[in-house]
Amino acid sequence: MAFEIPKTKYTGKIREVTLGKGDKAITVGGETSYPFYLFEGEMPHLPHIAMEVWDCPPGEWPEAALEPFAGVTDDPVAWAKKCINDYGAEMIALQLISTDPNGLDRGADEATEVVKKVADAIDVPLIVWGTANQEKDIEVLRKVAEACQGKNLIIGPVEEGDYKKIGASAIGYQHTVAASTPIDINLAKQLNILLGNLGVTDELIIMDPTVSGIGYGIEYAYSVMERMRMAGLTQEDEKLQFPIICNIAKEVWKTKELHLADDELNMGNAKKRGILMEAMSAMALLLAGGDVVIMRHPEAIKLVREMIAELTA
Amino acid sequence: MILIGENINITTNIAGTAMKERNPEPIQKMAKAEVEAGMDYLDINIGPARKNGEEFMTWMVNTVQQVTDKPLSLDTTNPLAIEAGLKVHKGNALINSISLTRMETELPLVIKYNADMIGLLWGREGMPRDADERAIIAAELMYKANEVGIPNDKIWFDPIATPVVNVDTNQVKPCLEFMSMLQDIAPGCKSTVGLSNISSGAPTHLRPHLNRTYLMMLMKYGLHSAIVDAFDPELIKIARGETPELVNLVHRVMDGEKPDLSSLSEEEVKYVKTVRVLTGETLYSHSWLEL
Repeated sequence: MAFEIPKTKYTGKIREVTLGKGDKAITVGGETSYPFYLFEGEMPHLPHIAMEVWDCPPGEWPEAALEPFAGVTDDPVAWAKKCINDYGAEMIALQLISTDPNGLDRGADEATEVVKKVADAIDVPLIVWGTANQEKDIEVLRKVAEACQGKNLIIGPVEEGDYKKIGASAIGYQHTVAASTPIDINLAKQLNILLGNLGVTDELIIMDPTVSGIGYGIEYAYSVMERMRMAGLTQEDEKLQFPIICNIAKEVWKTKELHLADDELNMGNAKKRGILMEAMSAMALLLAGGDVVIMRHPEAIKLVREMIAELTA
Repeated sequence: MILIGENINITTNIAGTAMKERNPEPIQKMAKAEVEAGMDYLDINIGPARKNGEEFMTWMVNTVQQVTDKPLSLDTTNPLAIEAGLKVHKGNALINSISLTRMETELPLVIKYNADMIGLLWGREGMPRDADERAIIAAELMYKANEVGIPNDKIWFDPIATPVVNVDTNQVKPCLEFMSMLQDIAPGCKSTVGLSNISSGAPTHLRPHLNRTYLMMLMKYGLHSAIVDAFDPELIKIARGETPELVNLVHRVMDGEKPDLSSLSEEEVKYVKTVRVLTGETLYSHSWLEL
């Protein structure tokens, strides 16, 4: 008898979720096997990379991360356009850093105006990310949802403490929510249930498991994501059959290692180090089941795109 | 099944406060209520009791035994407090618990005071990860206990229930597996379980479903006793064998049967769902009963 390679038996499928509107809308999810296990099932939609744009000039980015965006970091619209036109971004993730009450503490009106301008200027899907300060996020993200009615933004993070208010706005103004939980599969499942009970339809939910970079606990995020896929694909756990979004760039580029100069602590070239740390972290998360990764450096993105192409060739 | 009431516990609101204040009335009231509810033993959990442990346990045993002649289960990690409690305890107490780490000092107390003991299957490196590790710990405890003259029927092994809300440490299956082999490893030894730990972290009003279901699952393997919430009358009915059909349903689901949920009562459906959550077949979430 010929040897047969054992195969995982899948009984579930990840839901397809369409992000954005119009010609440039992107559908993610739909997997019927573990990530890149194309010998066992299908990945009808490849993972996508969203490029990060901040709503205020970044104060503490390493030089290597700033360099590709020289001249546009004080203008979110120009920044987003540069990502799309020069670096081929298929999605933009606008981080509302300026609204942080412990930082610039910009008000909801001002933040909304920026989001509106960016949303009107681009046609690719737009992710809008708050600061995870629930009180402030409720204020800001509800206003954003209203101002951008019908654009199908992806709004996050939506957490257990603010899902009712932000979720209701998302339903009312037709946006997708990024359901965010702190590296815990049971809480992730519970939040998806709560969002469902609230009336958010399954096609408008994407999960944010909370991720961190290599050297900073990426293995925990990896395990939770892996377990989510096991539950969704092999245990018919409908409440975990959602695509996954990973907000990774911020986590990688804030680490101590990426702020060291060339050769400091024998860590080699700073730019190369940053690019590789970002690319490797993002790739690890894609291997765990990420459908959308939010990234920063164009060269890191290029590396990840190449890896995706090779793994799916 | 022997039921040990868990409600006199330093970490609880009413009893805990009274215990710290050495105020006997609320404790005695609680003890009487537990006995009325049908408890065979009352657990006296005074916590680690590093300071004044001896005085504390002595006072507790005297206070509770003034209002009941039920035997007590002396629950602390302080061996001096255990011995102090045993000295004044009338009848045969239960030591809760003895594990590998403190057995040298505590096993002799079982003989000296003619007590029974709970053999807690906690390993030298912490929580056992599977049934085999539990078996190894049980065997070692049993041999050491036998060496000092403790017969097997005085040893009640507790395989340790872990909260189902934490998926990474779900030990339901290993505990059941251990229970199924207990009589081969340790013939004549008894068993018990700190049942409510299974539902720790779950919403309070839903905890009874987890506790009761887990009890029924353990009953499949002849669980001898359980440390329980004395004030869950449904749980007590189950333990007393008054719900044979429900127990049978739970056991069938454990064996892989997939009953037609539409043919079951609302209550039965909840138990079926809970079995699936406990075995890990369905991933736990606080809304598991609604799905």
